[in-house]
Amino acid sequence: MDTINVLIIEDTPAQSDRIVKTLEENNFSVVGVATSLKEALSLFYGSGKIDIVIIDIFLNGVPDGIAFAETINAVPNASKPFVFLTSSTDRQIFQRAKLTQPFSYLMKPFNELELLYAIEMAVEKFYAQQDVFLGDEEDTVISDEYLFIKKGKSLKKVRITDIIYIEVEEKYCNIITEKEKFVILISLTKILKLLDNNNFYRTHRNYIANLEKVEEIILADNLIILSGNHKVTLSDTYKDIVKRMRTLR
Amino acid sequence: MVYRFEIFLVLFLCVFSTKLYAQERVYSAFEQYVVNRSDALVQEIDFKKAQSFFLEKEWDSTLLYTSKVLTLENSDTALTNFSHFLRGYSFKQQGVFNEAKSEFLKIKENFDFALHVQIFLGEIALEQSLYNEALEYLKRIETVPDEKLLGLRRSNIEANIGLCYLHLDEYDKADAYLQRNLAFLEAEKDTLGLIGAYGNLATNYDYKDLFDKTIFYYQKAYDLSTYTDAYALKADASFNMYQIEKYLNNPEKAYQYIEEFNIAKDSLNSQNEVARVLQLEKQIVVEQKQKEVSLLEAENKVKEAQKNGLMLSSVILLLLLGTGVYFYREKVKSNKIISAQKEDLDELNATKDKLFSIVSHDLRSSVHALKSSNTELVDNLEAKNLEKVNTLLHANSSIVNGAYNLLDNLLNWALLQTKQSYFEVGELRLFFIVEQVAHNYKALLQEKNIHFENTVPKKDKVFADQESLKIILRNIIDNAIKFSNAEGAIKIYTEHTKEGFCDLVIEDTGLGMSEATRQNLLQETIVTSEKENKDIIGSGLGMQLCKSMIKKNNGTFFIESTLGKGTKMIVSLSKIPPDGYY
Repeated sequence: MDTINVLIIEDTPAQSDRIVKTLEENNFSVVGVATSLKEALSLFYGSGKIDIVIIDIFLNGVPDGIAFAETINAVPNASKPFVFLTSSTDRQIFQRAKLTQPFSYLMKPFNELELLYAIEMAVEKFYAQQDVFLGDEEDTVISDEYLFIKKGKSLKKVRITDIIYIEVEEKYCNIITEKEKFVILISLTKILKLLDNNNFYRTHRNYIANLEKVEEIILADNLIILSGNHKVTLSDTYKDIVKRMRTLR
Repeated sequence: MVYRFEIFLVLFLCVFSTKLYAQERVYSAFEQYVVNRSDALVQEIDFKKAQSFFLEKEWDSTLLYTSKVLTLENSDTALTNFSHFLRGYSFKQQGVFNEAKSEFLKIKENFDFALHVQIFLGEIALEQSLYNEALEYLKRIETVPDEKLLGLRRSNIEANIGLCYLHLDEYDKADAYLQRNLAFLEAEKDTLGLIGAYGNLATNYDYKDLFDKTIFYYQKAYDLSTYTDAYALKADASFNMYQIEKYLNNPEKAYQYIEEFNIAKDSLNSQNEVARVLQLEKQIVVEQKQKEVSLLEAENKVKEAQKNGLMLSSVILLLLLGTGVYFYREKVKSNKIISAQKEDLDELNATKDKLFSIVSHDLRSSVHALKSSNTELVDNLEAKNLEKVNTLLHANSSIVNGAYNLLDNLLNWALLQTKQSYFEVGELRLFFIVEQVAHNYKALLQEKNIHFENTVPKKDKVFADQESLKIILRNIIDNAIKFSNAEGAIKIYTEHTKEGFCDLVIEDTGLGMSEATRQNLLQETIVTSEKENKDIIGSGLGMQLCKSMIKKNNGTFFIESTLGKGTKMIVSLSKIPPDGYY
């Protein structure tokens, strides 16, 4: 599991120091603190590993924060979740900020919980999987690249390509990567729907395997050997996997 | 002498013609025949008029309408014949004999009144002294039986024949006709006719030089004339007697007759005079009446005009009154509204003023406390009494927190009033909102050692604006802590008592409040100035803000409290998305 990379755009050091402190206490990685639009854009596109941006609407008295959001939204696939930070109660600024969908905001002054909550909301809204982190039934938002998993008060991410296989146990899913093994809360139907089905294939009622990680299929034993010597069962219903493998090779 | 008799004879003829009509409105036999025979023609309006004017003896009008009938090209012989007949008769009555004659001659064959035409032509000839011609026309009657006479009087015509013979000096023939006429008239007992007939006979005998008979008939005529009022006849008869007495050389008698003649003549003249005067008087009276009538008409017109004017002006006045009343009422209404608004505004202004004074007082005492605390801090820092410094800093921090909350409420209140704040209803999980708000009070709760419990289920969701809900919760939790004693407890949980609503309950084991205070808090726009606990400051602004914001979120607010035991603040929020939510 990796930490979430956060970019902070805030021109007041007192504020940004507090945010950095709060985020680091909660195991987020702060990639950088930008104090102007230009700096923000170079950091955003330069580092290339930003997961979420916290944007103060007013930078040096002008609403450059909104300009930043508009700019990154202009390139759809390159955009990331963001949270507007504002002490302004001016309706007009809100109206303009609201146009940069999906719109999440955090009102100053805020406490630790509010900041974390705002980040979770932004991720949910951005990947259009709302009401995941707050309920008891689920704790994972799936993007094209990562699984965002709620761990305590914090968020973690797992690169999807690192997953070897997923074992389903009722409403839990065991995620097995090369380095670790952990449990997430998500329904099987939802995970099947959201994962790229070119790479992930159901081999059994309870197993989903990453085709990239398949080393060997032993049909006689109904067994698939995956990298790292992980084994998953291949039930008769799902033996089509052989055809898929051929087409891949 | 002969000459005089002739005049008399002509007079006699005229008397015959007019006598029949003049008496009453009963139409003569002749007129009735005319009406009967022309009935078929009265569809022609002009002819109908001509006919009615004929019956009225309005000769000029008759002539006018018959000429109208004739100017229209008309192939109906009966109509043209009748028109010519009426015209001829009218001309004859007016004494225009030549015109009458030509009209009568224009009448074609097969005319009902062909005999009349002949007789009338004969009478015209007689009037024009064409005695032979007259005889020719008149004699035709002798071959006609009585039933075909159509109103013609045979005796009159016979008398006229007699007159013709008289003028033609054929006295014997004249005598025969005149005697026959006389016999007829005697049978009829027509006095006037008899006088004429006696005169005629006398004249005839005069011409025959039968003097005795002349005198006898003149005498008879005279005797009859004394019984009548016909002065013209009387005058003629007495004049004839005067001539005879003069001829007989009886001057006394002659004188007596001439006297009578003069009297009769005078009477005739005066009768005419009286008739004329009467006519004039009548005319004047008629004129006066006419004048009066026109005067009255004019008066009526003026009155009518006045009446109309009066009506119009009263209608206009009424309208003016109506609009006046309407506008007056409108004005009264708007005045009422304005005064009500003024009262409201005054009240609001008073509230605001009160709020100002309380808030400024609170702030002033906070700042004052800080000020004195700072002096103490400096002193203690110099004395390096760090423990004291620490407690003082904590005390300051709580003072600043209180002041900050007050200012925050003030700002939110102002934003709410000016509708400047951002307000967007969304689906919220109450548990997290409560957690986030309570997070700020962790230190305070620990300090007072108050047990805090948030047992709101994570699944409870409401539709509300996040920021305003946070402000509401902040104020309620702040109050709960403020009014709780140390070692107390604050519990936050939900209840679902009302359909479509989720009740968020903030329960404390604090001081509680009296019923009066509770009522006061729930009332609108009243700043509670009475404080049950003098040590605990508060303006009431927080509660007011809560109520306004709950209302804005379409929620309801309720308080349950027992003095000394604790308070339950209940905020009901909608579980159903508002209209237009997507």
